[in-house]
Amino acid sequence: MIDRRKFLTTVALGTASAAFLSACGQSSSSGQTGSADKPVTITYTWWGNDDRAERTRKAIALFETKNPDIKVNGNFSDFAGYWQKRATEAAGGGLPDVMQWDLSYLRDYGQRNQLLDLGTVKINTDGFDKSLLPSGQIKGKTFGIPTSTNAFAVYYDPAKLASLGIAEPDGSWNYKEFNAFLAEVGQKGNGTLFGGTDYTSVWWNFNIWLRQNNIKAFTDEGKLGFSKDDLKKWWNLSADLRGTAAIVGEDKTTQLLPKSPFGSNVTATEVTWDNFMAGYLADSGAKELKLVPVPSDDPDNLGLFLKPSMLMVASAKTKYKDAAARFIDFMVNDPEVGQIFKTSRGVPTSKTQRDGTTFEGTDKLVVDYEKSIEKYLKDAPEPPIVGFGTLESTFKRVSSDLNYGKLTIDGAADAWFKEAEDLIKQNA
Amino acid sequence: MTQSPTLSRRASSAPSQPRKSRRRGADARAGYTFLLPWLLGFIALTVGPMISSLYLSFTNYNLFDAPKWIGLDNYTTLLQDERFLQSVGVTLQYVVFGTPLKLAAALAIAMLLNSKRKGQGFYRSAFYAPSLIGASVSIAIVWKAMFGDSGPVDQGLSFFGINLGGWVGNPNMTMGMMILLTVWQFGAPMVIFLAGLKQIPADLYEAASMDGAGPVRKFLNITWPMLSPVIFFNLLMETIHAFQIFASAYIISNGEGGPAGSTLFYTLYLYLRGFSDFRMGYASAMAWLLVIVVGIITLIFFKTSKSWVHYSGDAK
Repeated sequence: MIDRRKFLTTVALGTASAAFLSACGQSSSSGQTGSADKPVTITYTWWGNDDRAERTRKAIALFETKNPDIKVNGNFSDFAGYWQKRATEAAGGGLPDVMQWDLSYLRDYGQRNQLLDLGTVKINTDGFDKSLLPSGQIKGKTFGIPTSTNAFAVYYDPAKLASLGIAEPDGSWNYKEFNAFLAEVGQKGNGTLFGGTDYTSVWWNFNIWLRQNNIKAFTDEGKLGFSKDDLKKWWNLSADLRGTAAIVGEDKTTQLLPKSPFGSNVTATEVTWDNFMAGYLADSGAKELKLVPVPSDDPDNLGLFLKPSMLMVASAKTKYKDAAARFIDFMVNDPEVGQIFKTSRGVPTSKTQRDGTTFEGTDKLVVDYEKSIEKYLKDAPEPPIVGFGTLESTFKRVSSDLNYGKLTIDGAADAWFKEAEDLIKQNA
Repeated sequence: MTQSPTLSRRASSAPSQPRKSRRRGADARAGYTFLLPWLLGFIALTVGPMISSLYLSFTNYNLFDAPKWIGLDNYTTLLQDERFLQSVGVTLQYVVFGTPLKLAAALAIAMLLNSKRKGQGFYRSAFYAPSLIGASVSIAIVWKAMFGDSGPVDQGLSFFGINLGGWVGNPNMTMGMMILLTVWQFGAPMVIFLAGLKQIPADLYEAASMDGAGPVRKFLNITWPMLSPVIFFNLLMETIHAFQIFASAYIISNGEGGPAGSTLFYTLYLYLRGFSDFRMGYASAMAWLLVIVVGIITLIFFKTSKSWVHYSGDAK
């Protein structure tokens, strides 16, 4: 009995001291930097499709060759699941070291001390357009570095239009003309090709329409800047198209997820961000896709703006600040990274990266598109409020219910406003 | 019985029988020592989180900032939340239709497999396999592909002239699909039924046969009452299980409970509230409401079971 007790005590002591020693060992070796023999490993996560995954893997491999003292563990998911995962990790205190980020969620995490102030580490932003940097800043702290810019556009597949005998649009259209165009495609598409997805189901499109009508989406006090009637007017724009061949049915759209109907060759057009080009080309296998500006009832005010298409951020709790900063710096500035991503993240923000990249073919189309709308560009929209990510996904969900016919336009507007008011109250 | 290490017993017996109690105390200590890992785990991983979630359910907690006490607000808001009510409806529909169907399938197949025939072992494992892999993510993904637009199910049905299109994107079909998925995973209750069926003495059936009873009679008068404790157990477990459906719904609806909220199961909405909308207090309130409701349903089952569950050796 005593022997056994002694034995157990010894084992327990041994285990404890081993754990203690290994803990000490860890803390001494897990300093800020690694070496070529003993590299530190940082984790990096992004959202996107297979095309972006492929490009990102190339960029990571290049980074590891150039920085043998750092290893990068990459991981990705689609956009919707991405934020749920981050929330779970943030709650557990285990966010990845470096993350691709979206403007919609910058406040949620930045204001709540989850992101590293990148002003405290070395990241070169000399080649950046100064008007874009503030989009990653909150109250004087830099939480995100924009990798690239994107702008809203109408995509179309010229080959599909040609096969239907429809002339290519030039992008100077009002909503009525745009609707007529979608209806014509749908009619001639004869059940196999639809005009487009419901353009009123995307928050940013609504935001652009508000700007076209000189309405602010959010006030400086973090309240809503538009009324329920504005929202109803917006959803009414495509009311006649819902349920017709002009707009692809919501059941089809749902089935095709995570691909978009446009990427799946079910529609001839799509209204979305211009940096989706590479993804759409890869998904659809189309030879060429073209871009024109969004419709507007005021030809002098298209409501367009350049948005940081994505940002790079680091976790506030990262153990490897320097390694994380070097990786971010590399991803936003290195010319070879620009060459890998081209315009698939958007048009690079850093001049060194832009200059080091040759934009040809469809990538040139994206760069040219952003040049062509330069004269219409206005300031980026007011920074989204805390919890904006929820509002954006609610917008999409409610629009989807509208398209399923489960909600009326009034009901959809009520549902969205209820959520928004509740959310603003929660975060007040 | 003498070794049961309860504290009260030790305290009451200590003054009168010091010697015996010392030994008993040592036994108790040994018992508790061996129990310790489990006890610590239970306190740290079950009781602790439960208490903190109960506390959080009375607060406004966004995962990052300190929770703010708001009393019963979460609970009262819940009752006005249309999506919450929708999630309750969806879940009840699933429990009420899915569970009995699943049990019926399990019992029917168990009875088929109970008789001796060639390849019995193969059939048993074949029918059990889906429930082994059923809860896994990969099955939900396969299921989604099967019922998708121009997937095998759509193709098969249109061969017979039934054109329903894909089920995944159709809010009127998704519930049927989810119920089919759970019915298909009848393996676990089936195995339990099979064990129960084996316990029924064969001479009961022989006697009944001699009295001229047909298969229906035999089922109603012998199988059902003899099996009733097993049926009760399966019913209870599967009902509780059904309330907790999450993984398959999450995968099939891309984590959003769509289309049009038709797969917005209770736990999925709870998860979305907690981790998509950063409203952990609200989600905690939902969790506690679920605990209470499942508790009440279990209680009702136990109360009503007296009238139809027969244990051998019962006075009845």
